[in-house]
Amino acid sequence: MKYLFYLILVLLLVPLQTTLLPHLSVWNIKPDLGLVAAALVGLFAGELEGLLVGLAIGWVLSLFSAGELWLSLLTNGGVGLLAGFLGRQVSQVTSISLGVGLLLVSLASGLFAAMNFKHLDVSQMWWMVESIVLPQACFDGAVGAGLYWLLSQRFHVTRLRTE
Amino acid sequence: MWMAHSRSPYGAKRLAIACFALLLVALFLLPAQIQGLLQYLDGPVGHVVRVPLEAIASIDTGIAHRWEQYMALQGVREENQQLRKEIEWLRGQHSQLRESAAATERLTALLHFKEQALPTMIAAQVIGRDATNRYRAIILNKGESDGIKPDMGVVTPAGVVGRVVKTTGASSVVLLVTDPNNAIAGLIQRTRDEGIVEGTQQGLAQLKYIPLLSTLRNGDRVVTSGLVGGFPRGLVIGTITSIDKQEGALFQSAELMPEVDVGRVEEVLVIQTSYGQSTTTGTGADLLGKPSP
Repeated sequence: MKYLFYLILVLLLVPLQTTLLPHLSVWNIKPDLGLVAAALVGLFAGELEGLLVGLAIGWVLSLFSAGELWLSLLTNGGVGLLAGFLGRQVSQVTSISLGVGLLLVSLASGLFAAMNFKHLDVSQMWWMVESIVLPQACFDGAVGAGLYWLLSQRFHVTRLRTE
Repeated sequence: MWMAHSRSPYGAKRLAIACFALLLVALFLLPAQIQGLLQYLDGPVGHVVRVPLEAIASIDTGIAHRWEQYMALQGVREENQQLRKEIEWLRGQHSQLRESAAATERLTALLHFKEQALPTMIAAQVIGRDATNRYRAIILNKGESDGIKPDMGVVTPAGVVGRVVKTTGASSVVLLVTDPNNAIAGLIQRTRDEGIVEGTQQGLAQLKYIPLLSTLRNGDRVVTSGLVGGFPRGLVIGTITSIDKQEGALFQSAELMPEVDVGRVEEVLVIQTSYGQSTTTGTGADLLGKPSP
């Protein structure tokens, strides 16, 4: 059942991210739902599942992006793994702490991606950070926090995390 | 303070770290092999993902069309009057162009210009946008199984849209002309000076490496030069809106307004074979510019 859920999640993320989210983008920036989903799976299901689901999300989303495969695998898989570790070490994860964590991770992955862009001078790099990386990190944090809050209203998340 | 209990066995944690470390090593040491390995799976996975993607894209398009139809009813009368005037003007233009075409045909026959084939094109529908914010790209509903390959040019009747950069069995990713990572060989239609068209971060395009002696001016049209890449000669890329000529620089550059509104494009044509490679024969002129000998 769990694996079926993961399969549906990965399959539905593609149309959500590529077809529906562009309509909901703010200043042409849309949140990275793959990153948020990998973080939530890692948090609730542990580091191994977080890593594997993150890698699957990264790979499938990279098929529908002009970006590099390795970067997508690294960021989504890494976020799943990291969230799994943090979920087991940090007490009382709240929607705010998760949002801040996602913001930082998204910021780090965005900066890493920007540094990998060819032929970017300092001003172009700064423009990219200012107008894409930073707003997206804020967006990712807000969406992650919102989803976690919704889940915590619907389910007993502490039990979900420890079961 | 409450600590979360770890039900996960210690082995799972170690396995996760080992998997990630292995992946990192493999990605950095054997990037081509890893990509090659995953390419075998791209085709079937692309076909599976295509089902929900096309279903949601068709719902999305349906809603968008309904909304557009509703919006189109606003101000129909004024638009109708304007279109009638435009038809009158176009009729005049049409008769002039027919005369020019007949003259060109006569001259072509006289000068024995080589007959060239029209490019073969595949029609495709836009079903999505790039999954990340870092690239300006669109996703098409046709892929390798339809004969689309990386580096093929993508156009609409209005002009150039971009270039195919990635394909799966049932879909392909097109890097738009407005993306800074894209480069297309361009030509100023009036002066015949060549340059490279690249996207800008602001979502426009620029023509770089224009010779300093070029007499370009605002309003000049830039078309594909057909020298490299998947585009035939003469497809419209955009119109020059500003020129940047710095003292001491080896070249000048110009900002372009792309001819196609890439943010709203819904159907495109993928150029499968350029001029001269097609099996069908057609007229011998490039699409907009001069005929080529």
